[in-house]
Amino acid sequence: MSVIATRAPRPMRAGRMTLRRRRQFAGFFFALPAIALVIGFIGVPIGQAVYYSFTSWNGLTSQWIGPSTWSQAFHNSNLWTALQNNALLLLSVPFALGLPLLIAVLLHQRVAGWRIFRSIYFMPTAISWVVLGLVAERFFAYQGTLNSIIHAVGFAHTNTNMLGYESTALSALGITFVFTMIGTNTMLFLTGLATLDPTLEEAARIDGAGRWRIFRSITLPHLSRFIQLAFVMTVIALFSALFSLIFVMTGGGPGYATTTMEFLIYQTGFNQGDFGTAALYGIILFVLTGIVGVVQLRLIGSNE
Amino acid sequence: MTTLATPPQETNEPERPELITPAQPRIGRWILFGAMLGVAVVMLYPFWVMIVTSLHSEQQFLSGGGFSWLSWSNLSATIPVGQEVLSSTIVCSTSIFVILCVGLPAGFAFSKLRFRTSTTVFLVIVSAMMVPLQAILMPEFVNVTKLGLTGGYFGAILVYAALGTPFSTFLFTTYFRGVPDELIEAGIVDGLGYVGVLGRLIVPVAVPAIATVTVLQFIQIWDDLLVGLLFIQNTNERPITVGLAVLAAGRTTSIPELMAGSLVSALPAMLVYLGFQRYLVKGLTMGIDR
Repeated sequence: MSVIATRAPRPMRAGRMTLRRRRQFAGFFFALPAIALVIGFIGVPIGQAVYYSFTSWNGLTSQWIGPSTWSQAFHNSNLWTALQNNALLLLSVPFALGLPLLIAVLLHQRVAGWRIFRSIYFMPTAISWVVLGLVAERFFAYQGTLNSIIHAVGFAHTNTNMLGYESTALSALGITFVFTMIGTNTMLFLTGLATLDPTLEEAARIDGAGRWRIFRSITLPHLSRFIQLAFVMTVIALFSALFSLIFVMTGGGPGYATTTMEFLIYQTGFNQGDFGTAALYGIILFVLTGIVGVVQLRLIGSNE
Repeated sequence: MTTLATPPQETNEPERPELITPAQPRIGRWILFGAMLGVAVVMLYPFWVMIVTSLHSEQQFLSGGGFSWLSWSNLSATIPVGQEVLSSTIVCSTSIFVILCVGLPAGFAFSKLRFRTSTTVFLVIVSAMMVPLQAILMPEFVNVTKLGLTGGYFGAILVYAALGTPFSTFLFTTYFRGVPDELIEAGIVDGLGYVGVLGRLIVPVAVPAIATVTVLQFIQIWDDLLVGLLFIQNTNERPITVGLAVLAAGRTTSIPELMAGSLVSALPAMLVYLGFQRYLVKGLTMGIDR
């Protein structure tokens, strides 16, 4: 200890640069594995996907075709169906945010047993979407819970089979998606509510503001950042996490009724063996999520 | 529809109890409690379906009555749950280990040992968080196959590690910004060197962040389908989520047995979640609630 202390001042002057450089070298060295992993497994494949999108590629051999692959892809009706399905599924986002917001406000009232309720509400968050998809399939099935409820309510002869028809399968998928997002988003909003200063509400109440007014003028603005984050996470999940649900619930069908972009990529590549077109679709998905990602980065950035 | 849609009907209430003046709080509390109970029923529905369905034989399931342990006693014959849980455990733990070993030093570097261009590099790594695997699925699959890594667990582990690294790097960087510079300087003055500082001073203070990354990644990887499905070619090495999904998509397996398998697969993630709930919340809201 003392040896070092006496030694330290000596190289300080001459070695100031080297000390700093040593620190920088150590920093670079420590960051290197992360850089390598991300470049090797995410960066390089993005470049490859762009290249292969201009080729005819079966995974083994590729042949350069040129920009005509893109014009051809945009003439493919499956691509438009998938994009349309993604767009329609966006309609579920308000529900995937609104319901958790209401549930979080409920929990925030701290009624008896709210901790237990909180644990219960978050429990499905731990379960795989594969399992939740299986359960949802049971729910929507011809002999499933949904029809039992409809019968119990008094419509004994009404039977639904939402996953079986092109017109309703996507709605069933959207409802399942909303359910799977409830836990995560409620968690986010509840955290947001916990950071709310209770004296603010108290002051507003003394000033004669009603509950609804307090919610609109104090709670909601306070939560705006959490709502933004939840929005971004929900949209990203919508574009890139439905695979498990679709895989077990519908396989993309009936027809192409529940084929989203991510599922179309999988189908085109692994069922049809058309790796080139699948890579091209990947680039489209990349751009779509990139737009959302820019919003997210700005959120992170504005926080720092 | 009704079950999943119960929240809207019931959650119409939250404003109402809020509007109730202190003169009649009791009724408001009861309505509130009822609404919360209703939401709880909806959220517990998946578990109820899995438990009840798995306690039927296939015949009973089709006819809609009865009780039987048959699906449970037949489970391991239909679904190799033991092997699959083992595979899931190996893939999960190894991937998380790599994610921690890579993300922690990187987070240390980006927060405390900034080098030239480190801000740019950090931003690039963080933005990789936004790249969905599906977008790069084809080249990734071909690359990993060409490297001969789809035979065992290594391909999947590397892909999971690469996908988890941006998040863990971001989380560790944010976390280490709160560590005082003096701690590192003291370590250097004491002659520890940067590796020593990392191992002896930084890792011990990083335990909460390590826990957060571990819990989040565990749930993510344990529950994942796509990577396990494509990057583990040997069916004997399939993780349980993949095994379930493939059987389910095949539509030949009895549903009670599938539900029993689902319950088995859900259990580990559930336990991790219940045990480490607060780390999960912390990780999800990282970088926004500070």
